[in-house]
Amino acid sequence: MKCLLIASESAEVLFHWTDPAFLQNIQEKYEVTQEEGQRLPAFEDSISTLFAPMIISCTTLVDRLGDSYTSFTTENNHIYVLHQFEECLYIAVNGDGEEGEDDLRRKIYVMKKMIEVLFGMVTLSSNLLRKELRPQDTQQRARLWKHLQSLLETYSQLRENDQSFLVEAVERLIHPALCEQCIEFLERRLVQHLNSSAERAGEEVLHAFVLVHTKLLVFYSTRSASKLTTSDLLTLIILAQNMYPSNIDTDDPVPEDIENTSSSGPESFYTPEPSPTNRDSSSSADKPLRGSTPVFEFMDPDIQMAEDSLQTLEVPPPGPLTPRRVFLEVSSKDGLYPMMPHSMYCLPLWPGITLVLLTKIPTTAVAMSVYKFLEAFSTLEKRLREGQEGSAATRGPPNIQDVRSKLDKFIKVLGPSEVQSAQLQNVWTEFKNRAFARGGSGFNKNLIPWCKNMKTQLCGIYRQCFLIDSGPADIPRCLSPGLQERAQTMAQEKLMDWKDFLLVKSKRNITMVSYLEDFPGLIHFIRVDRSTGQMIAPSLCTTERGPASELGKGPVAQFIKSKVWSLVSTTRHFLRKGYSTVTLRDGDFYFCYFLWFESETGYKLEAGDIPVLPDDSAPIGMLAWDYYWKLLRYYSKNQQGEMVKCYELLTVHLGVIPTDIILQHCRQLASKLWEPSRNPLL
Amino acid sequence: MAELMSPDSRRCTYFFLYDESKVRGEGDPTREGICYFYPEETPVDKQELLCGQLAGVVQCVSELSSSPVCSLRLHRNTFAIRMRDNFFWALGCSVEVPTISICELLDQLINLFCFYNGSVRQSYQLNSRESLAARWAQYLSHLRSGSSELQHIFSCLRTIDSAKVDPLLLLKAALILQTCQRCPPVLAGCILFRGRVVSTQMSPKLTMKVMVHESETYTKAQRPNGPSTSSSFGSTVSSTAVFLTMSELQYLQSVPVDKDFSSHSTPHNDASPKKTRLSRTLSDMAFTVSDSFDPNSSWPPQKVSFSSCLSESDNLMFSPVPSQTTIATPHPPPQRLKPPSSNGKRSDEAEEESHYYSFHSEGGGDSWIHSEGDGSVFEENSHISGDGGDGDAACDRVFRFRGVESGNEESHDAHMVVRDRVGSEGAQGHKPEQEPPPHSGAFDGPEESTLIPMTLYLHRVKGLVLALLVEPHFLSDTASTEEVYYSSLASLNGLEAHLRAIFPGAPDSPDFYIFAHFDCIQSTLTTNLSGRPRGAPEHPFVRATSLLHLHFCNTETLQEAIIRSASSAVYGTRSVAQETYFQVHGGSLRNSGIPYYQDSAFSLPTKARHKLLKHGVHLF
Repeated sequence: MKCLLIASESAEVLFHWTDPAFLQNIQEKYEVTQEEGQRLPAFEDSISTLFAPMIISCTTLVDRLGDSYTSFTTENNHIYVLHQFEECLYIAVNGDGEEGEDDLRRKIYVMKKMIEVLFGMVTLSSNLLRKELRPQDTQQRARLWKHLQSLLETYSQLRENDQSFLVEAVERLIHPALCEQCIEFLERRLVQHLNSSAERAGEEVLHAFVLVHTKLLVFYSTRSASKLTTSDLLTLIILAQNMYPSNIDTDDPVPEDIENTSSSGPESFYTPEPSPTNRDSSSSADKPLRGSTPVFEFMDPDIQMAEDSLQTLEVPPPGPLTPRRVFLEVSSKDGLYPMMPHSMYCLPLWPGITLVLLTKIPTTAVAMSVYKFLEAFSTLEKRLREGQEGSAATRGPPNIQDVRSKLDKFIKVLGPSEVQSAQLQNVWTEFKNRAFARGGSGFNKNLIPWCKNMKTQLCGIYRQCFLIDSGPADIPRCLSPGLQERAQTMAQEKLMDWKDFLLVKSKRNITMVSYLEDFPGLIHFIRVDRSTGQMIAPSLCTTERGPASELGKGPVAQFIKSKVWSLVSTTRHFLRKGYSTVTLRDGDFYFCYFLWFESETGYKLEAGDIPVLPDDSAPIGMLAWDYYWKLLRYYSKNQQGEMVKCYELLTVHLGVIPTDIILQHCRQLASKLWEPSRNPLL
Repeated sequence: MAELMSPDSRRCTYFFLYDESKVRGEGDPTREGICYFYPEETPVDKQELLCGQLAGVVQCVSELSSSPVCSLRLHRNTFAIRMRDNFFWALGCSVEVPTISICELLDQLINLFCFYNGSVRQSYQLNSRESLAARWAQYLSHLRSGSSELQHIFSCLRTIDSAKVDPLLLLKAALILQTCQRCPPVLAGCILFRGRVVSTQMSPKLTMKVMVHESETYTKAQRPNGPSTSSSFGSTVSSTAVFLTMSELQYLQSVPVDKDFSSHSTPHNDASPKKTRLSRTLSDMAFTVSDSFDPNSSWPPQKVSFSSCLSESDNLMFSPVPSQTTIATPHPPPQRLKPPSSNGKRSDEAEEESHYYSFHSEGGGDSWIHSEGDGSVFEENSHISGDGGDGDAACDRVFRFRGVESGNEESHDAHMVVRDRVGSEGAQGHKPEQEPPPHSGAFDGPEESTLIPMTLYLHRVKGLVLALLVEPHFLSDTASTEEVYYSSLASLNGLEAHLRAIFPGAPDSPDFYIFAHFDCIQSTLTTNLSGRPRGAPEHPFVRATSLLHLHFCNTETLQEAIIRSASSAVYGTRSVAQETYFQVHGGSLRNSGIPYYQDSAFSLPTKARHKLLKHGVHLF
């Protein structure tokens, strides 16, 4: 029984996702009250009506008490978690005991992160975001919601089954030689070829990486690219997984799916995913076995590329090979720019293996300017709110005169041809009249609404530039299909001999067997390098049909898995309260968790105080909100100029092993993690 | 006694009772429904806002989930919610307080109200809102104040510091209670000294309820709350009407008390012989106890479980008592010290024998209560819960163990024996894994609807109070009242004098460690933290304890935990019957956080095992 709902302050449903059990629960409520023969109201209406009192009460409390609900628990253990981002209220519900309050809060934050990656700075204007999430056209709305719903389901799948999404760090395939070859291939051949091609339409490939299921085989960034954050990379993996879901149970496409797709001619697009209802009913039935993973639908790669719902917002379903617009953080010399537009090309090489290209689009400079202006107006608004007036409010940075001249220039460059830029110009003129002109009110509280208005207009420009396909259709705006096909073929040629190896390797990246001799009594471990956002752990395969891990299949493996999952959530709870070392004797097992800091040269640093956070703070992890990045910054304050690294280690031992032996194991695992072939693992 | 007093240690911010039946129509103002709101100085519109919004949103969620809401959180407050009979209770505390303990607190509060006033709906029909508001305020302030943070974490009984009290005084208290219980209308009782439990025959939850009235009469001038007893006893005796839930009553009544013996003896004895009898009994007992103890095993002074332990010991040690007194009732306890083979016990006592045998083989004073008692209750409990988990079943089982002859045992005693018996088996074998929660808590849930009127009889001797739960007709039964009054008067005076001489005790010698030991069955806490100023170094311990307690509650299989922050490392361990927390303070805890086997944090379990022995805490 699960549900996630996004609502506006006026109780308008901006998005909802429910599993079949919740859906049924809602419908039953209406069946009781409906008279005979009357049709049930639309599901969206029912859910909106049922949640409305809660949403309105939230708004009332915020207005009158400055506080708001964060969670409800009922006697039958239904949990409701609420979180408000700007004017959007997120409500996550669980009624089947599978998710705790932390999980629900994490889901809310991940949903928000995915919306940010899909809509960029439009999310900064609640007004625009509301329109974006709830298009007037019901078909468009259905398409968008279905896409978001499937993203959410993909995420939930990964979080429940994939260790890298459990700890929120990227797992690399351990094969240094192949990795090296691939980097060389990407650098010297693929990216060079793409970036020197005339068919790239002004786009520039910044990052290229190959995913084998959810694991990273190789990651290459060009020299001019800024670092891709772990948070963004994990979100991109979710997007790629959603496009080309890897079935954990089987590698072979299920026959009936081929039949389905075989009928689709060259004109047809990506086979539509089942509607949420059908899909969910299957997922609830096969829940423990992961059967709900969408069956991989392999078909002509060109046709698959058509699945892109973002672009379908405004225009009819786009043609094949349309890239996905994603908004990622960019750090440049002059600062951090969140949500900068990129194009994401997901080129499937084989089922389970995907080449992802991230390109910078030619108009990135516009996004940077918009961000700077937005920042300037936010700062100004904040100062005015604090009661500063006149020169106190305008004293830099940013210098208001500077902003003024830059914005004048910016508007001139945009040109008044578009409705949106004309509107921006009007509002800006009005703002200038009030702020700078002699008859105007100057810089005081009266200007606050105009600051807001300016921000909305700027977000509108951003939306127009990066979310809507504008301009004449004949001008190419992405890597040409031919170029994409070429890239795909090149990568396929390169990896052809490795294909089968990689697919197996991705499921047995490292195995516990190799450690049993050196670490008797060790059952499982996870080691994470939080500075690079990478993790390594022996595979935990619990499905019936997949390859068995040393734990075997079935209940034992499932039990260990559930213990590992609950250990991670327990240690996060302690970490939130400032405890960086935790050992637990639980049943027949002994669990350890350590978080520590090292200098770049590997010198152990003293354990520092870890900030104590309230229970309803953002979830600890790297996907939705980079807790560890903040932790490193907090810790580094006391380390003069030194690069600090942060590591985590979790171990599961048999309870009968003496504690000092367990600690020795932990010590060895912590100091250096080697593969038996002496390849360093992290 | 210096105490970790913090008036808002619970950080309770709001409490209200809202009567939804008063606000039905559109036009009904919300304030009509507000029966009580704390803090009382809150502006009415804010009261209305909170009551209206919370009641509304809870209604919405309850409908969505087809189940009542039990808690809700805001950014700054956590509310426990209870709904019954159109009444809506909400208790709000700051978010640092675990939701579990807020819910517990609210249940306590409602149960308290019902204990002294009967059903809530009826009370509001019979009494004015204002007078009942005063009651709520009184109960709330009682629950909020006067205890240390640690006591709040475990919601434990406040007990006298048994480390500072001569164990014989505890025996004496237990004996007073037993004597009173022989009078038929007396169900059970407890002895309190300055708001702390000296000895009790009631379940921890019931004792807690009784203590509210006691503390009220202790702090204020004596104010009889109900029909007072005859003035012949002066103002030292008072009584008040109380209401027991069905299960509480069954629990008390099912305890085998040798009423026959009592009623038989009453006619022959007027007050004064009894008095002498009692005092002689006590003095006899003193010798017996010291004689019968293994000289090597000193009585560990810090044990928490004194009351039940004592009543147990009193069976064990008082062997000469009945034979020396004028009442020559055949009494089983005498034989109990002897080896089982030496007396012709009936076969159905075999189990008892094995118990006593194991007690002696342990040879460690009262240590068996902790050491054996813990890994064990569950086995017995699983039987009990299999029977339906109600008091009846539990007591039936107890009764079977004890046999009929163990007449004047009180309930705790019986329970301890059951625990112990299984425990001795458990100690030899392996520890069972599954441990259902202690059943004692299940007895008075807030859902209990049938309330049976009873009377709470209070006999005060300065700081000392004898509180007895009696049948309502007790007050009109002059013979009984006199019997109870006179048989206990002298002993109470003596006990009071002794206890007064002990309080306030000398300050603790500072230990280099802090510990807290919680007995889940009796709901008592032993710690060396009390008596100290609530200083900075203790606070991390309290915080860690609260956190670990929460995890122990949530994870049934969790047995041990060590958690370390940059400045402190705390070790926690639990069995089904106890939870123990231990921290060594001072010293350099500086570490890199990286796993290191010589790390001082990992020596905590060993240190705890050694250091806590002298406090009577035995860890495996």
